[in-house]
Amino acid sequence: MDAHEPFHLHPLGGRKTTRRTFVVRAALALTGAASLPLLAACGGGSSEENPATEPAGDQTGGSTQASPGTGSSGSGAQGEPVRGGTLITLGHTDVPGLSPEDAGPTVEWSLVTQIHNGLLEIDENYELESVLAERHEVAEDGLTYTFTLRQGVKFHDGEEFNADDVVYSYEWYRNPENASIEQQSFAGVESVEATDPYTVVVRMSEPNAAFLIRGATAFIIPEHYHSQVGQDQYRTAPIGTGAFKLKEWRAAEYTLLEAFDDHFRGRPYLDEYRLNVVPEPSVRAIALETGEAHSSVWQLAVEDNQRLEATGEFTVFKAPSVSVNHFPLNHNLPQLAEKEVRQAMMYAIDRQAVIDDVFNGEAVIATSNIAPVLESWYNPNVKEYPYDPDEARRILDEAGWTVGSDGIREKNGVKLSFTCGVITGDQARRPEAELVQQYLREVGIDMQVREVPDASGGMRQGDLDAAVFNWTYGGSGGEPDPSDTLRSDGFNNFSHYRSERMDELIDQGLREVDPEKRREIYNEIQALVAEDVPFLYMMYWQWYTLYSKQVKGLPESALSPTQTYRKAYQFWLDPNA
Amino acid sequence: MLRYVVVRLAQGLVAIFLVSIVTFSLMHLAPGDPVSLFVGEAQVTQEQVDMLRHKWGLDQPVYRQYLRWLGNLLRGDFGQSLIIRPGASVANIIKEAAPLTIKLNLLALFFSVALALPAGIIAGIKRNSLFDYVSVVGSTLGVALPNFWVALVSIIVFGSMLGWLPTYGLSSWTGYILPVAVLALDHTAVLTRLMRGATQEVLGQEYVTTARAKGLGQAALLSRHVVRNALLPIVTVIGYRIAFLLSGTIVIETVFALPGLGRVFINSVYRFDYQVVQAVVLLLAIVVVLGNLLTDLVYTYVDPRIRIR
Repeated sequence: MDAHEPFHLHPLGGRKTTRRTFVVRAALALTGAASLPLLAACGGGSSEENPATEPAGDQTGGSTQASPGTGSSGSGAQGEPVRGGTLITLGHTDVPGLSPEDAGPTVEWSLVTQIHNGLLEIDENYELESVLAERHEVAEDGLTYTFTLRQGVKFHDGEEFNADDVVYSYEWYRNPENASIEQQSFAGVESVEATDPYTVVVRMSEPNAAFLIRGATAFIIPEHYHSQVGQDQYRTAPIGTGAFKLKEWRAAEYTLLEAFDDHFRGRPYLDEYRLNVVPEPSVRAIALETGEAHSSVWQLAVEDNQRLEATGEFTVFKAPSVSVNHFPLNHNLPQLAEKEVRQAMMYAIDRQAVIDDVFNGEAVIATSNIAPVLESWYNPNVKEYPYDPDEARRILDEAGWTVGSDGIREKNGVKLSFTCGVITGDQARRPEAELVQQYLREVGIDMQVREVPDASGGMRQGDLDAAVFNWTYGGSGGEPDPSDTLRSDGFNNFSHYRSERMDELIDQGLREVDPEKRREIYNEIQALVAEDVPFLYMMYWQWYTLYSKQVKGLPESALSPTQTYRKAYQFWLDPNA
Repeated sequence: MLRYVVVRLAQGLVAIFLVSIVTFSLMHLAPGDPVSLFVGEAQVTQEQVDMLRHKWGLDQPVYRQYLRWLGNLLRGDFGQSLIIRPGASVANIIKEAAPLTIKLNLLALFFSVALALPAGIIAGIKRNSLFDYVSVVGSTLGVALPNFWVALVSIIVFGSMLGWLPTYGLSSWTGYILPVAVLALDHTAVLTRLMRGATQEVLGQEYVTTARAKGLGQAALLSRHVVRNALLPIVTVIGYRIAFLLSGTIVIETVFALPGLGRVFINSVYRFDYQVVQAVVLLLAIVVVLGNLLTDLVYTYVDPRIRIR
């Protein structure tokens, strides 16, 4: 850290680690528990599989109300905003680049979103917000989108933003040669045209109801610059329209952004926005305590979150994620192919007990594929699976799975036995799998647990019978479409689930642009998931985002806690807090 | 002598070559795949994944990929990073990270030798004194306590409870204190024990008794006989520990958030950034080969009984 940062130097209110927490920590560390977070931190490469983390790409991971009793500091409520200071946030691993292409993982996204803007953006409550577009119109047939752009917006190099930049950006994302992570967001797009300097018309060859949330939120890159320097250089020296521009980037150490004076929403109060790379989760927690940082973009350990929240020294945004903690099951195996077997497993597992025992109660039970925090899409009226081992046994008996001499059920010579992969070093989900193993054993199902380095890849390739990890099955960014995970040909259809009805519904959902009718379709998708149980949907983890009390101008509440970083252009630091 | 060095270097080259083949094979045989890590939860199609594989040359047979890598290497090109810093040259990544790692290790080595030699000698001479007991217990703990634990506890004590030192990073020179201390702890413990043992052994030798009988003073005795003889195992151990420098640094750099080579290595391994892993392992192999050679050469200087033909 540079010496000229006034705000990280004095500790916030003299909080010290108490003797008790120190002893607890030391004891934990001695028993070797502390070594696990370290290893996990090292393994951060596979972000969707890192135990204490939200999946990559799912920056909109959180949801519901800011936690009761930890009210967020309302902007302006505590005095007039003050200009100046550096906001210090913490990430866990190198920042490989700062272009929109690098914005998949949450930490990188938190920086890219300060530098760039989209025509539309998703806010912290899953609402679409017009940013570089002043307004947009969608034709009734869903085939034409017209965006009217904001005028007088400047890029960091002083050039004016106009429709050509939008066309350039969208064409770049669409071009298969660029292998952009945004390519699928533009599925169904036929042409992107600038009809005048401030109007862009997007025409579709077929309706794609997900286009507004996925495509129109893509970050805009400047044609005059990106086309000159190319992607490889751009990701090291991006130029956008955002409130902060890049000042210094040292991938393994820190990224420093500074206020952009000519930002179209006005210069931000903060002079600088900084991300320091601190791989070890407990060190990030300590740095928040000592005041050496204001917020950790990457999740802390559950117990650290709870401890820091209890100090009352932080503004806490807390909400269940949209990605579901689940056990995908390979339907190509005869013992996992029947929906009765999978339903029985749901009855056999006491999910609330798993949440309480393994996750300190910091999760909510899943009811289907869409998270309850997505209030406009969530369907509460689906088949439920309360803990009922007798019902599980009854279903299995009825389906012809009889208990063998070893206590394991079998049918036609096939044993009801399979292996579940847990990610190597995953100290959060290994105990979960072991608990589930016991519950299943009680009803005569044998699940072996084995460590694997790449659970999602193993499921995708069909090498694994089952696994446990977290993933979003529709709902990323508030868009409910699950074609990637539930459609028969979905790239991430980990369970190899095949249902004609599901495929039909998914296609209908993408063709329908009327929100009311769309809702009915996704209600049915959720009901079908609850009936078919393609995978064992367990729970949604609580997602925490903490800010030091020094940070003011925060949103009142957030359904998606990580999205609050997007509002850094309104933040200010209270020197008196 | 020259002939010896040339032969040893040639052997080293063969070893390095073999190491590079083994690393390459292991990385490619390991389950998991950089493309799937790269796309994460982004909505992609199989075509896009294939496109990326092709772009990165991963659709080619492994031996082809190896030959291409070797060919580039012989032209002095270490290749490009795919994932931890897409598009950046591996040589640059290493050039940025290596100085810090070297600095940390040299500082740690310096302080541990400076501390361990006198401490070991004193403990060896004053056998069963309080100082001796303290040094024995201290060095046992130093070896036994895992680095990451000591590192975390030191952060909690000095960074959080006392507030004397930064908890992470290198904002000022004080940021070096904890990492170097923790890194040096292990070396110091090992070297102190060695030096103590060697001193005691030498002091029990008959020629020392003879020298004493001749009337040689304590200081001369120590410098001429004891230290000279005890240095031999010290040199061996330091040379041998060069191979483990990186593994120690990985832990320290991770816990203290330092942007060194250890972090580059662990990141590239976890993210399957093949070219970066190859380059770091290659570098390490070279360091080990040279370290061993240097150790052997130093022997001949320290121990007149050893002659290289």
